[in-house]
Amino acid sequence: MTDEVVSLVSLREGEEGVIQAVSGGPGLIGRLASLGITSGIKVRMVRNIGGPLIVTTNGTRIAIGRGQAQKIVVRRLTAGEEEDKTA
Amino acid sequence: MTADGELLVALAGQPNVGKSTVFNILTGLSQHVGNWPGKTVEKKEGYYSIDGRRIRIVDLPGSYSLTAYSEEEKIARDFIINERPNAIVLIANASAVERSLYLLAEFLLLNVPVVVALNMMDVAEQQGVRIEVRMLEKYLGVPVVPMVASKNKGIKELVSAILHISEKGDNFNPSLADVAEDHRDIFAELAALLEPYIDPPYLIRWTITKIMEGDPDVTERMAQSVPADVWRRTQAVLREHEDSLLAVVRGRYDWIEGAVRSATSKFKRGQILFTDRLDDILTRPSLGIPILFGVLAVVFAITYGLGLPLQQVLESLMRVLVTWIEPLLGQSPWVRGIVVDGLVGGAGTVLTFLPVLFFFFTAMAFLEDVGYMARAAFVMDRFMHFIGLHGKSFLPFCLGFGCNVPAVMGARILESGRIRLLTIFLTPFVPCTAKLAVVTLIAAAIFGKDAFLISWLLIAGNILVLGFTGMIVSKLFFTPMHMPFIMELPFYHKPNPRTIGIVVWKRIIAFLRKAGSIIVLFSVLLWLLSHIPGGDIETSILGSVGRFLEPVGRPMGLDWKMIVALLSGIAARENAIAALGVLYGVGEEGIRVILASVMGHATALSFLVMLMLFVPCVATLVVMKQEMGSWRWFLLSFAFMLFLSYAAGIVAYRGALMIGI
Ligand SMILES: Nc1nc2c(ncn2[C@@H]2O[C@H](COP(=O)(O)OP(=O)(O)OP(=O)(O)O)[C@@H](O)[C@H]2O)c(=O)[nH]1
Ligand SMILES: [Mg+2]
Repeated sequence: MTDEVVSLVSLREGEEGVIQAVSGGPGLIGRLASLGITSGIKVRMVRNIGGPLIVTTNGTRIAIGRGQAQKIVVRRLTAGEEEDKTA
Repeated sequence: MTADGELLVALAGQPNVGKSTVFNILTGLSQHVGNWPGKTVEKKEGYYSIDGRRIRIVDLPGSYSLTAYSEEEKIARDFIINERPNAIVLIANASAVERSLYLLAEFLLLNVPVVVALNMMDVAEQQGVRIEVRMLEKYLGVPVVPMVASKNKGIKELVSAILHISEKGDNFNPSLADVAEDHRDIFAELAALLEPYIDPPYLIRWTITKIMEGDPDVTERMAQSVPADVWRRTQAVLREHEDSLLAVVRGRYDWIEGAVRSATSKFKRGQILFTDRLDDILTRPSLGIPILFGVLAVVFAITYGLGLPLQQVLESLMRVLVTWIEPLLGQSPWVRGIVVDGLVGGAGTVLTFLPVLFFFFTAMAFLEDVGYMARAAFVMDRFMHFIGLHGKSFLPFCLGFGCNVPAVMGARILESGRIRLLTIFLTPFVPCTAKLAVVTLIAAAIFGKDAFLISWLLIAGNILVLGFTGMIVSKLFFTPMHMPFIMELPFYHKPNPRTIGIVVWKRIIAFLRKAGSIIVLFSVLLWLLSHIPGGDIETSILGSVGRFLEPVGRPMGLDWKMIVALLSGIAARENAIAALGVLYGVGEEGIRVILASVMGHATALSFLVMLMLFVPCVATLVVMKQEMGSWRWFLLSFAFMLFLSYAAGIVAYRGALMIGI
């Protein structure tokens, strides 16, 4: 089990990660939290080809601009790793 | 609260959870329903009566949280705080309970009785999420009503829950989310400092939480009302604990986690959803962008392919109608003129566009309802950056093709003030249906078989102008800045004919109302002005004003009637058709025949170019001013459009003459 901590933008499509931290102003942190993007939550990368990316979490899919996504730090889950609790 | 036993109930919830669907069922009204976040941007009211009790129901704009990041969220929050409704119905999305509960956690702090309407149970089911409603109720301490609003399920139960809770009054004791454990003492410290200065309607717990969250409004207000030394100490505490916001968020998610653990289970997992498959295609730039243009092309092909032939049929029907009614009108040239040239030639010609509008509205409502709009906005994001905007602005622009007024209002979903301003500034360059009607009609009359091409070029040109203007204005007036782009992509769903029907119906009615009021009045007025005193256009009041204006139109090859037509478009864009109809007296022969004989190609072209770029109708101007909130920007945009349309008109005219069109 490797604990690779990276920015959200470096997750490839299909990969999953657990959010470790969101940096940025209260506006960004608060808005993302109200959409379910906050520390401890598991996300899956759906679309990541330049431009904004799309992640899914708990039944929500969200488009996030690259600039904002760079401020989200995740722990990459390696394939097959049984994801632990998501919150 | 309202007097005489009337109840005030607010429908709140995150965007796109079905608030307006529930509102429409209860009140019988028809608020805009579609499948993308951010349709309702103003609060709307209606009534529902049961057992002799009247309930005033308010449909609030969707808000992800109660920290007001965008205009609509501010509206929702201020309403709850200032109006203190008897009950709030928090509409939650059963297929995304976590984030619906996040908003609930905030609402519960406001100490107003809340009923949770757990909507979209069908979607949750499809995704294999099972929710034990009783368990959830017990955990939250709040009544929970499962619903499928789009299928009318659960409404009765919701109403009785509302009645029940608003009678219980103060007996409402929900479980509340605390701040995370390690910050409880900070919370207590802040509370001790600020408590004496928090006055109703603001609540202590809510205010402290908002301060910890760094809510700009609340912080600002407290800074004003708290003595300087207390405020300094407050700020010192906050500075020392910069992670207060995270503690609040963490506290909420602990509470949510508890609810989810006690009440939901996943019985199926790992299924590939339909939405995933479609998104794989539609959000991939290499496919998504061509598909978007394809989709738009199909929309216009349907609109014009089916709508225009019907428009022609209506036009000939109208001529038949004239031959029937003419003998009944007696001898007076005035009565005949008002009816045949004024009403029929003016307002009647406008009405023949009904089929075109019908097909356009239906196609757009379909795209909205299946959930495509948010994807279109997503793939457009990269292009929108060139013009200083981002993908979300594409949503109001799309509304703009229908009518610019809701588009300007719709810009409220944009969180950043400058993006909103620029979006509003550019909206008039989105050709609305009324503008398109004028263009199609004139192009068809003048350019014959090239009409389609000319119309397309004009529309494309209009959109290019939008692009260039955006580029220039954002370069000139705004410093480059990170533009936060966060947008939810809803699930696709099967088109619901009822929802689509309601949307189309509402827009058609709005058009008919406009045609039956402003445009009828205007047509008659214009006819009178162009025939008083002598009964002859050239010597009429309008004729003399017109000749005075004639020099203005000369560089573009326009005669005064065309200038009047252009100006009359300010009252309502369709008036341009009505005005041409009235001034050239097309009542009997139909506008196509007459126009062809009075307008040369170059003139028609410059007229159309000017019309595309000219200042929008009054309705749009009024909301632009209101939403821009600044005279400076409004006047700048007004002057810009005047100048641009004038200059472009001249260029089009001279250019057309030069290449001999
Ligand atoms: N499957 C399903 N769809 C629903 C249900 N309720 C509403 N919808 C659909 O969800 C979409 C959003 O509904 P709206 O009523 O427009 O949502 P809203 O909360 O008013 O949205 P905003 O005004 O944008 O905040 C529409 O396409 C509805 O037809 C439901 O119970 N099940
Ligand atoms: Mg709504």
